[in-house]
Amino acid sequence: MEHCPIYYGETMEAIEIKGLKKSYGKFLALKGINLEIYEREIFALLGPNGAGKTTLIRILAEGLGYDAGEIKVFGRRLSKETARFIGYVPQESISYDLLTVEENLKFYADLYDAPKKKIYELIDRFALPKKKKAKELSGGFKRRLNLAISLLYDPKILILDEPSIGLDVPSRRELWELIQEFKKEGKTILLATHYMEEAEALADRIAIMNEGKIIALGTAEELKALIGEESIIMVEGFLRGLKRLKSEFRLVEKEGSVRIHVKNPKESLPKIVETLVKSGSEIKTIKIEEPTLEDVFLKLTGRRLE
Amino acid sequence: MKLRAIKGIIIKDLKELRREKMALFWIFIFPLMWITLFGTMWGGHNPPISLDVGVVYTYTNESSAFTAYDVLRIMENVTLEGVHVFKIREFSKEESGINALKHGKIDSLIVFPSGFGRNVSTGRQAKIYIYFDRSDPQQYQIVRGTVMGFFSEMEKKMREKRIEIQLKYMEAYIPKEDNISPETIKEYLIASAEPLEVEEKEVSGKSPTPIQFYITSFIGIQFLFATMLTIGTGTLEEIEKGTLRRIAASPATAWDFLTGKMLSTFLIIMVSIFVGLGYAKLVFGETIVPSPLGWLIIFIASIFSMSLGLTIAMATRSIKSTTAVVNFVSMPLLFLAGIVIPESIVPSWARPIANYFALGRALKEFRLLEIYHRPVSEIMPGLVLISIETAVVFLTAIALYKWAIKRLEA
Repeated sequence: MEHCPIYYGETMEAIEIKGLKKSYGKFLALKGINLEIYEREIFALLGPNGAGKTTLIRILAEGLGYDAGEIKVFGRRLSKETARFIGYVPQESISYDLLTVEENLKFYADLYDAPKKKIYELIDRFALPKKKKAKELSGGFKRRLNLAISLLYDPKILILDEPSIGLDVPSRRELWELIQEFKKEGKTILLATHYMEEAEALADRIAIMNEGKIIALGTAEELKALIGEESIIMVEGFLRGLKRLKSEFRLVEKEGSVRIHVKNPKESLPKIVETLVKSGSEIKTIKIEEPTLEDVFLKLTGRRLE
Repeated sequence: MKLRAIKGIIIKDLKELRREKMALFWIFIFPLMWITLFGTMWGGHNPPISLDVGVVYTYTNESSAFTAYDVLRIMENVTLEGVHVFKIREFSKEESGINALKHGKIDSLIVFPSGFGRNVSTGRQAKIYIYFDRSDPQQYQIVRGTVMGFFSEMEKKMREKRIEIQLKYMEAYIPKEDNISPETIKEYLIASAEPLEVEEKEVSGKSPTPIQFYITSFIGIQFLFATMLTIGTGTLEEIEKGTLRRIAASPATAWDFLTGKMLSTFLIIMVSIFVGLGYAKLVFGETIVPSPLGWLIIFIASIFSMSLGLTIAMATRSIKSTTAVVNFVSMPLLFLAGIVIPESIVPSWARPIANYFALGRALKEFRLLEIYHRPVSEIMPGLVLISIETAVVFLTAIALYKWAIKRLEA
């Protein structure tokens, strides 16, 4: 997907977070987050479950209390008033099962004091079946209804928490296109995801979160550059002798495949093949790949992004 | 307060309820079933009592002017609203009569011993033996009251007859110059036999019918179950689903939500009460049209019920537990607080519940006002008590709700 160029110096910060801390009892969920999200950019928070993404989002979008730090939205302190700049699409459905699409939108329009004509605009835009009850909608349409609800009062910032979780591939693609459209309309998008492809495909900038901290921030390319000179050799098949390789290389095992981090692929490839074959492996595929965001995460944290 | 948001919450709740079949059953059908069941069983007009009475008497040996046979004919002719009160069954032996009584074939056995007719006819005291079965205390009371009532009335008539006969004999011996008239002597004689003349009087006023009582029971059931569950589980559903968090994050506040929720619950309960009142009129031809003070009692009781439901929900924090606790608390209260049975038959140890538990007391005051037409001054102390209890439970519910909201924001 094509990313719009970012001019950090000329663009206003839509969201500015300084030293944000939040704990649940003794558990520190956010350990001092500093972040600037610029107007009209798609910003992804990438991290495994439990990294603190949802907590951060709930502070921004749902008024969840926090222990320390400062949050500004378009230069003003986050409050019930400035929260109106923010539209939030949570992971779970927020529609009422027994109400129709139209009734759900009417209810939320009443809550947000949104104009009634907006309801029908959104029904048309997302091709929602207005007379269908929410419980009769497919996962994709439920997500669209969530989106429509969050756009009722035309917020400048849209926060999406794991938007494509549970969606099939075509629905996910459709959603990604919608997100790109929102950006073109001038909205700022904050996206929390644990799908690296999603972050890579959509985001102008990505913050990698782990254990309540932002451990890296930049464009996908900037983050991949953190890997350094390393390349990845990906091997698929019935593999044996991986223990012997571990003494020399860094490995990430997946079901039926292994990603081997190497400095010089031309030198390492014959050695790897020889070790595996001698150990009795049946190699199906072997190729040299560019590092992914998952490799970045692995390098930074020592564990896989799950 | 965001009025548009509150209106939205009310409309949303009403639409959801309209499509929730189980909720409709519990709010509308279940209480109507109670009215129908109780109204059909005990709400209608009860036919006059009719008793099977066994008798043992010696007829053939008697040649007196008045015999046991004459008593039986009088008994057979006693009617109430066109129904014969006594059905006489003759037994040749006392043992067989007792046996029939023991087996429930007759309600009572009257034994006229030999010489009964002679004694009555000659102005002597005549003996009668009456057997009752006491195994069913309530039935015993009814049968005994009816049979003894008959003999008491008969005794009175016999006494008057005897005095008249005695007077006829005495008239010839009364000295004319003493100014003592036969009427005066008659008065003295009657007064000797009956020193007290008790006359039964009834207070004027509209007498309540059983169906009116069961209509008030239906209103009580609404408060004990439907109101508490509607607000309690409704609020918890919004918390569990995450929509309350969403509402709290909108320009509307958690307090707007609670206001909307309470108003929608109140509206639902009011509609169900109207339906119940209309249903009673349609099916049983009778209903209650509450006065403004009656509506005020209903309003206060519904606030109490909503507050109690919310308190239980916020304390248990689970829909299943709320439903269980509400049922566990409400089921015995139906009886112990005098909701579906009159307070007069509530056991004495449970009477304080009917008197001091706000819903029991509210229903009691409502009945006094709307069924028994008691003056407002009699209702006021109860109304003050209910209002104080409602205020306490309401504040508790608000505090617990506030606590739940804080937990959502923490």
